[in-house]
Amino acid sequence: MTETVVEVRSLVKEYGTLRAVDDVSFDVNEGEVFAFLGPNGAGKTTTVEILECIRPLTSGSARAFGFEVTKNEDVREIKKRIGVLPQEFSALDKLSVKENIDLIGGMYEKKIDTMEVIKLLDLQDKTNERFENLSGGLKQRVGVAAALVNDPKLVFLDEPTTGLDPKARREVWSVIENLKKLGKTVFLTTHYMEEAQVLADRIAVINKGKIAVIGSPNELISQYGGRKVLVIRKGGGKLAETVQSMYGSTLLNHGGDVIVKVDDVKEMWKIMSTLTEMKLEKEIEIQTPTIEDVFLKVVGGRITEEGELK
Amino acid sequence: MRTLTIFKAVTKNWLRSRSGLFFSIMFPVLLLLLFGAVFSGGGTATYSLFVQNLDIDTSSGKPTNMSAVFIDALNSTKTFNIRNVPVDVNATSYAREILGPLGGNVRILTIPQGFQKDLLDGTIKVRVGITYNTTLTMYYIYEPYMNETQKMTVQQGLAQMATYNATIPEGGTSLTLILDSSDQSSGIVKSIVVSVANAFNYELVGAKNVINFSEEQPSTARQFRYIDFFLPGVIAAFIMTNGIIGVTTNTTEFKRRGITKRLSITPLNKVEWILGNVLSQTLLNLMLTAVIVVVGWLVFGVQAIPDAVSTVIIFLGSVMFSGIGMMLSGLVKDVEAASAIGNAIAFPMMFLSGTYWPVESMPTYIQSIAKVLPLTYFSDGLRYAMIYKYSEGIVTNTIIISALAVAFIIIGALVTRWKEK
Repeated sequence: MTETVVEVRSLVKEYGTLRAVDDVSFDVNEGEVFAFLGPNGAGKTTTVEILECIRPLTSGSARAFGFEVTKNEDVREIKKRIGVLPQEFSALDKLSVKENIDLIGGMYEKKIDTMEVIKLLDLQDKTNERFENLSGGLKQRVGVAAALVNDPKLVFLDEPTTGLDPKARREVWSVIENLKKLGKTVFLTTHYMEEAQVLADRIAVINKGKIAVIGSPNELISQYGGRKVLVIRKGGGKLAETVQSMYGSTLLNHGGDVIVKVDDVKEMWKIMSTLTEMKLEKEIEIQTPTIEDVFLKVVGGRITEEGELK
Repeated sequence: MRTLTIFKAVTKNWLRSRSGLFFSIMFPVLLLLLFGAVFSGGGTATYSLFVQNLDIDTSSGKPTNMSAVFIDALNSTKTFNIRNVPVDVNATSYAREILGPLGGNVRILTIPQGFQKDLLDGTIKVRVGITYNTTLTMYYIYEPYMNETQKMTVQQGLAQMATYNATIPEGGTSLTLILDSSDQSSGIVKSIVVSVANAFNYELVGAKNVINFSEEQPSTARQFRYIDFFLPGVIAAFIMTNGIIGVTTNTTEFKRRGITKRLSITPLNKVEWILGNVLSQTLLNLMLTAVIVVVGWLVFGVQAIPDAVSTVIIFLGSVMFSGIGMMLSGLVKDVEAASAIGNAIAFPMMFLSGTYWPVESMPTYIQSIAKVLPLTYFSDGLRYAMIYKYSEGIVTNTIIISALAVAFIIIGALVTRWKEK
């Protein structure tokens, strides 16, 4: 039976008159990658920091491993069991990778061998490299290594790929996938749709302090993502009219592509059969809805690369 | 254990930072070399002085004996670099021309024409006056024992002396000293010239010193020079700046970069964090002290070497100022504010605490301020331990430093936020 690692109920966090987290409730299960997806200022980091016991809550409850984040004696127990990669992770510049991980490891009574963590994150070549000389991606890997040094059951990764180039981002994704394989529970916050979709077992879409929807990527896409789209490249106006008359929901874009919204695979095959009968050899592309479509549907906007809601 | 881990990491990080090393150790050493060169007594300060001697003997065309002797007397003080100004020029214009475009302080002493004659006349008049007064006093004392003839003789003598003195010109002479009011050395120059003139006066009238001075050092084991007295002040001042500016900016930078936040997520508590940083800074300050003392010993031959008691005071002082640094970093938000507040506190304290010059030389209200500044107790305690070996002063100041160290660390722990808002 899957154990609940994090349990949040009616969580509220207010800064004066601003309600940063507004009546949020969710669970995180053992061994899953749970993603908080939302734009900057949505309340992701605030929620995570409440669970990390470094930010007080206003009302509601938040528990990790059954311990209350508001009780001092429980806080000690939670801190022993969690690993954290904070947003914009930084470390002591003049210390080496190993020394920085040792520093974090030195804070715990029980920790795993630093070299083991370094190996796990594939940082062996950089063991004695100073932190200041590392690239952004490597720095994030050091941050993840530091988060694992106490062998935590739950790992918080707060915007782990923000500001990284695509290659470095993929490297971090690979690290997160490995954490899942190791059986760690991962609480990921991100404003990258693709990241949440690729990595998460469950996603909570959060905006303005409220969770809009929560579920697995497939559940969310099937429920909120809309219909699949079949694109017939350079199909032209005549074909568009034919498909429209047969199946409806057809558009012609400026490039002459015919775009058809379909409900299921069966309908898609029908259209393709029609094209074959018409002996039309056109390039066909099938576009399935993504989390971005889900987000657009439930929040009513898109998130820019910088994390702003548009 | 966690304190030790923080101590090791912060110390390593600092030791590998060139800028940190420069500002915490090399900069104080450079200042020590600079101040040491100024105050070590390696050479006596000399002041340039233009002298225009207008008292020329008309027959020989040379300066009169008295004016030449007066200039020799000025030279014998070894404090003046005397430059002679020709008789027929404007002394101020001449001095400015000699000093050149880079300028310099214009100090001109003019010996007037007739200096020798006026001096001799004045001397004779003073001597006759003294003889007259002495005789008159004696006369009043011995009058009851004198017969009429004796009285008459003395009265005639006194009358002749008074008549003769009246025929002597008033005498006396005036030297003119031109000093720039912006010249910081003008007071010293004036007092030396006046001293020489007074000595000249006494010599001419045959007066002898009644009050004499002998100068001795306080009873210490060794003979110390000014640089030795200066050294504890330098050590105290830089331990203070390292604590108040260095610790504040470093730990605020850790905070800005999220390093403190990252550590706060671990089981580390804020007291352990503060103690780790304080101990690290204390070790660095002990290293700084060692470097300063070694450089002072090698370059200036200082004898004030810290002993065990001084080392304890240095340790406590470091803890106290690092505690202040941790307290300030708990109060400020960004590095710029930390640097500004650190400088705003450290620099006035450095100059108001009697570190470089005695508190007694400052106005009374500043002396009152000095009494509440922690650096006053630290530099006093250190000076008592390193120089005077004054037990009572050592104990009192050490107790105050210890109490302040504990207080600042407690306040630091109270104001340091270990949780976000």
